[in-house]
Amino acid sequence: MKLRGTAAAALASAGILLAGWQTGTQVNGISTVASSTTATGTTGATGPGPSGTGSSGTGASGSTGSAGASGSSSSSGSSGSSKSSASGTYKGSTVQTRFGPVQVQITVANGKITDVTALQLTNSDGKSMQISNRAAPLLRSKVLAAQSANVQTVSGATITSDAYLTSLQAALDAANL
Amino acid sequence: MQRISDPLPGTGGTVLKARTFECMGTVIGLTLPVGNPAEGHAGLDELAAATAVVELLFRDLDETFSLYRPDSEASRLARGELKLSQASAGMRERYAEAHEWRLRTEGAFTPERPDGVLDLSGIIKGHAIREAGTSLLALGRRDWCLNAGGDVLVSGSPTPGRREAWKAGIVDPADRRTLITGYALSGNSPHRAIATSGSAERGEHIWRVGNSAEFVQVTVAATDIVTADVLATAIVAGGTRMLDRAADNWDVAVLAIRADGSMLATPAFQPA
Repeated sequence: MKLRGTAAAALASAGILLAGWQTGTQVNGISTVASSTTATGTTGATGPGPSGTGSSGTGASGSTGSAGASGSSSSSGSSGSSKSSASGTYKGSTVQTRFGPVQVQITVANGKITDVTALQLTNSDGKSMQISNRAAPLLRSKVLAAQSANVQTVSGATITSDAYLTSLQAALDAANL
Repeated sequence: MQRISDPLPGTGGTVLKARTFECMGTVIGLTLPVGNPAEGHAGLDELAAATAVVELLFRDLDETFSLYRPDSEASRLARGELKLSQASAGMRERYAEAHEWRLRTEGAFTPERPDGVLDLSGIIKGHAIREAGTSLLALGRRDWCLNAGGDVLVSGSPTPGRREAWKAGIVDPADRRTLITGYALSGNSPHRAIATSGSAERGEHIWRVGNSAEFVQVTVAATDIVTADVLATAIVAGGTRMLDRAADNWDVAVLAIRADGSMLATPAFQPA
């Protein structure tokens, strides 16, 4: 469930990377895209992202030539029509993260990433796992219900002794006298 | 199996009681589930004794570290009358700890003011809460909630013997008398601590990395209070970049509020 947002974020960042790649700034082609995707918070990986390439084979060295890597992975159908239209699915290498092993797969059609899938998202119990702890926008209307929640304590920015007198915490403490 | 009067039926024979005292410019409160000592619960005497221990600890630390006291060791250091190498072991330990956090937050948290004066006030309240928690456990208290000016450390449950969480409300920075949301501490969560920092905060000096105060209030829940406190301060100073760094590298939940009221939250703060 959380994955959708994560994937969307990944897609966005991958898209940006891809844009860079298409303009020829990322000479490492697909493998770079894949690993960067992994490193940009899809996984919340703390360590350095995978420098490896996974099963995609590094193809695409893009040495000098035209608009970045003329691609063609060793994996699936690289319908690569001459220039820069790499297609196929590419897997990043598996990374150990705080959330368990994570591997990301991207699907590329005509040089554009069309899908990002996290392949390994289960822990040893086979439960699906949350793979990103990144913050996302939170709507006030979604949390208003908590206002009426029964709380035993209150967290807020440090207040002076005077401000305490009119605080919610003071009311709670008074109730518990 | 005689049944003694139950102060609040349905709460396992205990009722929450709080004691407060003033120190470090704010109010510190200790809340315990209090019941009949004959049934193994803490009584009011235990609450008073536990509060006295916590208060003594806070006062000792305040005497050493307060920059509001001209005669404190911290003030003498700040005036240059004392060198760090000559300072007490406690002072040097906190300095080392604060510097460790400066490295880990890439400078978003720092123990030095822009003018170079050493200021450990960003870490000392968290340290006091941590030490108080250790003392409470040593006293045999298993269930308690300690709140120092809005920074909270809990143990056990408000209802002894159950896994029920302590619920902390989070203040709305636009209206301090309302809550924005809540967060469950202890219970099924490894998070026992929650701390909130504001961009216009008293006493705790936050120096921004860059020039904008992206967040007016940041709340961090963590397994320990110093981590929660330091990271909340660091995220106020460092903005989204520091928020992402904290979320990636520590086991924390973060709720960050911008001046326009919009919010960012890590998954633990998102409604299911």
